[in-house]
Amino acid sequence: MVLRSPLYEAQVKLGATFTEFAGFEMPIQYSSIRDEHFVVRKKVGLFDVTHMSNVWITGPDAAKLISLTTVEDASRVETGKSQYTEILRENGTIIDDTIFMHLGEKYMMIPNAGMNQIVTKWLTDQAKKHHLKAKAQDVSRDYVILAIQGPKSKDTLQKLTDMNLDAVKFFGCQNVKVAGVECILSHTGYTGELGYELQITPTTKAAAVFDAIMTTGKEFGIQPIGLGARDTLRLEKAFMLAGNEFEGGRTPLEATLGWTIFWDHEFIGKEALLKQKEQGTFQRMTCLECVEKGIPRHKCEIQKDGTAVGIVTSGTLSPCLNVGIAMGYVAPEKREVGSILDIIVRDKPIQAKVIKPPFVPKEWALKQ
Amino acid sequence: MTNEVRDSLKYTKTHEWVKLAGTKAKIGITDHAQHELTDIVFVELPTVGKEIKKGEELCVVESVKSVSEVYAPVSGKITAVNSKLDDSPETINSSPYDDGWLVEIEIKDKAEVNTLLDAAAYKKV
Repeated sequence: MVLRSPLYEAQVKLGATFTEFAGFEMPIQYSSIRDEHFVVRKKVGLFDVTHMSNVWITGPDAAKLISLTTVEDASRVETGKSQYTEILRENGTIIDDTIFMHLGEKYMMIPNAGMNQIVTKWLTDQAKKHHLKAKAQDVSRDYVILAIQGPKSKDTLQKLTDMNLDAVKFFGCQNVKVAGVECILSHTGYTGELGYELQITPTTKAAAVFDAIMTTGKEFGIQPIGLGARDTLRLEKAFMLAGNEFEGGRTPLEATLGWTIFWDHEFIGKEALLKQKEQGTFQRMTCLECVEKGIPRHKCEIQKDGTAVGIVTSGTLSPCLNVGIAMGYVAPEKREVGSILDIIVRDKPIQAKVIKPPFVPKEWALKQ
Repeated sequence: MTNEVRDSLKYTKTHEWVKLAGTKAKIGITDHAQHELTDIVFVELPTVGKEIKKGEELCVVESVKSVSEVYAPVSGKITAVNSKLDDSPETINSSPYDDGWLVEIEIKDKAEVNTLLDAAAYKKV
């Protein structure tokens, strides 16, 4: 069965073309990926990301359950804060990366598209196994998720709420009314631009919010944005896409997400990570910018002097830089910043330089 | 199909067009194809002089999101490529039937031309 967002009809009217992603029929683009990409970098864009999951974590041991099952110590995440983290298997590989929001009595976790049942079951099983008084409840289908992203996102959203958005810090979250509809607002995003994400329930109220944002954003040049530009936008910032970057089982250390690990607490997978850290020989996520024409793609081999040293997990043409860019795993001794490696595209090597992420700097549009 | 289909050209089911002039065939992708791809950002052209068989991969056209193969509508030797596309691949989007042509082939077997679709037949694809 293919699921559709409650906003599907509105998107058809806006001229969207659709693609299937993790069991959902979602807009891939409205005008063109390139145009939509620049709208978000320079103005403001509105995404429907309802395909992402929503899981309530409740009960007196809710924080303990999150701390056990993620690399984060939830007890240090204050009310009104969103936190990026990863959920690991015992062997240290990533089940999913996620954001959880601390909303006072309870937490809302946002696993990736199609991960709602897997994550909910994992959390439920671990709660039971460790005798924790905490409950994980999959409410993914009860929520529409909108992301409003771009330098003008704040100006647009501010016109639709009484709450002063200056008071919401980056990675802050809280309940707020937008266009008269109760939402959970989080000052987060997946584009590297100023932006917000809104969780809306009941879903029947989402179309009104979507329409209000589109209408209010007109003066700022707002456009609806599809999943195509969502991918190029995140790739320019070297943000992970779980299905690509964690494919086949990767640990946070391999994914260079070591900075997200709060070592000072016990969590599932910690032992395996400590062992891996000590060994140190593992491939690591590496960002490559092509110095020759060509576009690296998922699964292209990375070579040095004709020998395989890694594999591309995501690649595209960067609309902002107009060169091929790639994320991939590379042997530790071959990934020094500035090194030139070959990415094999259709049997031909394309030279690419190892760079320090991101590919595109913060507030890129201001520097143009 | 709301896209432009020119009566003067021949077509394939896989959305290539062929413009015949004597023994030469100029080849490109149709307006429908460019519209489906959107935002063409890279074209990998073959080398002049290369022999190619009908149905083989002639060149590769990439959009931001996808990689698409263009197939040879007829067999023959490649006599010219549109090297302007190296620097401005988006020409295929703006002018699929004129400035956005891909390759010129010296036709080896004239009989193959008869297997191509005319405009009316292509419109039904």
